[in-house]
Amino acid sequence: MSSNQFRKRIRTSLANAHLQKALDLNAERRVTRRINALETLPDWKERRQRAHAVRAEVIENLDSYLDQFTAKAQANGVIVHRAKDAAEAVKIVLKIAKDSPRRREGRQENQKETFAALGALRGEKVLVAKSKSMVTEEINLNHALEKENIRVVETDLGEFIVQLRGEKPSHIITPALHLRKQDVGEIFKEKLDVEYTEDIPALTNIARKVLREVFLTADVGITGANFAIAEEGAICLVTNEGNGRMVTTLPPIHIALIGMERIVRNLDDLALMLSLLPRSATGQKLSVYTQIVHSPLPNQQRHFIILDNGRSRLRNSPLKESLLCIRCGACMNACPIFREIGGHAYNSIYPGPIGSVISAGLFGSEFVPLAQASTLCGACKDACPVDIDLPKLLVRVRAGQSQVSSLKSSNPHGLTLFSSLTLRMYSRIARHPRLFALSQKFAALGAFLIAPFSQWIRLPAFTGWGYSKDLPRFANKSFRERFRKEDTPSHVTLSASEGSLLQQSETLRSPEALPQSDTSKIERFAKELTAVHGHVHHAENATQSIIQFLQSRNINHIHLEPNVLDEDALTKADIAFSREPDPAIRVGVTKAKCGVADTGSVLEADGEGKSLHASLLPEVHLVVLHTSQIYPSLEDAIHLVKNTKSAVFITGPSATGDIESAHTIGVHGPSDVHVFLVDD
Amino acid sequence: MFTCVPVYALPTSVYTQPMPRIQLFVTCLVDSFYPQTGEAVVSIFQRLGIGVDFVRDQTCCGQPPFSAGLHAEARPLAQHTIEVFEKTTGDIVMPSGSCAHMMKHNYLELFRDDPAWLPRAQALASRVFEFTEYLVDRLGVTDTGAKWDGVLTYHPSCHTLRGMKIDRQPRTLLANVKGATIVDLPATEDCCGFGGIFSVEHPELSAELLKRKISNLETSESPTLVLVEAGCLMHIAGGLHRQKKSQRVVHIAEVLASQ
Repeated sequence: MSSNQFRKRIRTSLANAHLQKALDLNAERRVTRRINALETLPDWKERRQRAHAVRAEVIENLDSYLDQFTAKAQANGVIVHRAKDAAEAVKIVLKIAKDSPRRREGRQENQKETFAALGALRGEKVLVAKSKSMVTEEINLNHALEKENIRVVETDLGEFIVQLRGEKPSHIITPALHLRKQDVGEIFKEKLDVEYTEDIPALTNIARKVLREVFLTADVGITGANFAIAEEGAICLVTNEGNGRMVTTLPPIHIALIGMERIVRNLDDLALMLSLLPRSATGQKLSVYTQIVHSPLPNQQRHFIILDNGRSRLRNSPLKESLLCIRCGACMNACPIFREIGGHAYNSIYPGPIGSVISAGLFGSEFVPLAQASTLCGACKDACPVDIDLPKLLVRVRAGQSQVSSLKSSNPHGLTLFSSLTLRMYSRIARHPRLFALSQKFAALGAFLIAPFSQWIRLPAFTGWGYSKDLPRFANKSFRERFRKEDTPSHVTLSASEGSLLQQSETLRSPEALPQSDTSKIERFAKELTAVHGHVHHAENATQSIIQFLQSRNINHIHLEPNVLDEDALTKADIAFSREPDPAIRVGVTKAKCGVADTGSVLEADGEGKSLHASLLPEVHLVVLHTSQIYPSLEDAIHLVKNTKSAVFITGPSATGDIESAHTIGVHGPSDVHVFLVDD
Repeated sequence: MFTCVPVYALPTSVYTQPMPRIQLFVTCLVDSFYPQTGEAVVSIFQRLGIGVDFVRDQTCCGQPPFSAGLHAEARPLAQHTIEVFEKTTGDIVMPSGSCAHMMKHNYLELFRDDPAWLPRAQALASRVFEFTEYLVDRLGVTDTGAKWDGVLTYHPSCHTLRGMKIDRQPRTLLANVKGATIVDLPATEDCCGFGGIFSVEHPELSAELLKRKISNLETSESPTLVLVEAGCLMHIAGGLHRQKKSQRVVHIAEVLASQ
């Protein structure tokens, strides 16, 4: 993209009033939420430095960590592939998809659903359900699959919306950031043949219904990965809606595409990253679903595709630090330029400050002009949870240091000819003090001739400066002409009280100590879970409390995990239970492996692979949690995921903020989560 | 220059000491557009009993070509500046956080692969101070004895605030100006849209950011905006003039020197 094409896109964005409103809303909401969330972590600045060091060490020794990850994942039963570029990655996915066993029978059974657009989902085509993944956008996977007659459905609400509109995401976390609820209502009406509505919960519910069928009938599920844990051979996926869990759990094949820099060393480092990522991305202490996926579930095939696609080159370039990025999008929300132009103007799947660095590094010198669209104000660096020095990297891109852009390129700095010539001329003059002083005199004289009676000069708009502001007159006499070495005595008499002129060292304020909480872990857990719209019940007997809960709602059939409740008592109370998923069942009951007090989360792990269904498919999820199993923080609890096939920390009901950043509860996972606390 | 003289241990609380001196790096914008700002800096130091040396060979620190990515153009300017100040001793003080940021941090970036110049850049960096930082942190001065009749609001320029982490210092100095009422500028930390060559490269974007800054200034109801940067000052003042607004923008040195 040339400088001029970029400028044209910028003007288009600025002229789009709806977009401007959406961007303002995003900036205001997201920045406040991020700051509030980080303030709940008193040592976040120190964590940020640790996170930087941890990421830097991984990138430094990436090859050995990748080997460790691969070996461990293979031992876990995962099929691991390496792809050096987009074409290779696409080829691998295609091969897996074409060899996949079909789930056509399931699809035919589900033909009762009446959404017109879904007609295309059924039939002979391979159906791929995708959860949001920037890496798949980077390699343009959907396009490649559709070309091979494979049907791909994006299942993240925001991605689903932009896919229906035939667009690309405009933000790496909130893909439909550029749209209003009215736009969503219109595209749903057009493509899904539903009544127009602009009620966000109603729109969300439409997506839930449409996509539920996709989950249940897809042949292949494709996801990205937020992190790949070297020591475990596992990946971590952070989502809110529940689609990520569906896609990794229900289809017989799961493929995860992993950018090769996503590595963390171990679960401790992962916990550190997870304390920063959701807070920075969405202002959540923990995302609703934090999955750690080790092995395939029974009757499932799992593939990890590790993608290079320019990352090795980036790693050997002066832009190496950009590989520390954990893709939270905070730099975009904080950037005053992104706020003006939005993601699409950048014409790269990675927009904003980090995008302006890595697009040039990964995709080539045509993206160098993006880096000129920054005031280098540093708001991005301050917002970055791993403290990437983005202004420094943006300047390096401008200086032609992204390795793929060579100085021989026609416009290596991404500057207009006018700026480039002006700066070069100025710089040559400023090398010589006398010439510099002489030029000042000429400039002052010139300014006087142009505007003899005004302190201001109105330059034409094409100069850039004259576009929106006037230029002050050069001073008639510069400082260097006015300065006389002053006649101050070489000694000065001071009174002792004025001795305060001596250096005064700044005493650093010690970071405020953690508030001494007088509430117990249990109360903390209850408070945090309630804050994320979950419910807490204190139960003397789990079975009796749950029976009461079910009877009060006239529910007599549940999806029950084994060894959770007294099943004889259930039968006596006329409550039927089954072990298998069934769309007719509205309530799932599971037992949590543990709770996390400071996020209000519960950990569900596979067992025989069933609890993952009971906690995901029904609308209401009831969890039994023993109070002795509540850990203070994620750092303390994360080791329990070891030796599980697939585990998930659940933090409240499934939710989305994909339409106008409005927090909406109940997408693909349960909309109602009740935890029954039982004392041991 | 320092002269070696015995310091007399006087029985009273009064003693004599060699007059401390600083090197003034006035910056190209103050030199060419706002000489009165440079004079305000000199007068404040005089009042504090500190001598000011001004080396006439200084020109520009090289920030404009550096930030634009024209490092081949920036290097000779940085080398020139280093050479000029290597001939002097003492702290180098400048009425600009972005030039200080350039000389303290970006010179190290510019010469990161240059074993000949990197140590020289490092030696220079340790002597570089922004003006308000120097007053408050180095000299312990929080009150310059200034008087200002009216309302003031402060815009923390990005390179000063985030690059140099300087914010408390100018705000402390302003709070102690007698007669002045300091009001908050809404969204104070938002960039004004200057960004050096950026404002010429992307005038439409620069204009949008400037519009926000001016609208926030109007919300603050302060007639005067105080800055520590001549670049942002030129940009905002130019915008106010174009929009025929009555607010004025002054460099903090002029406020701190006012009597």
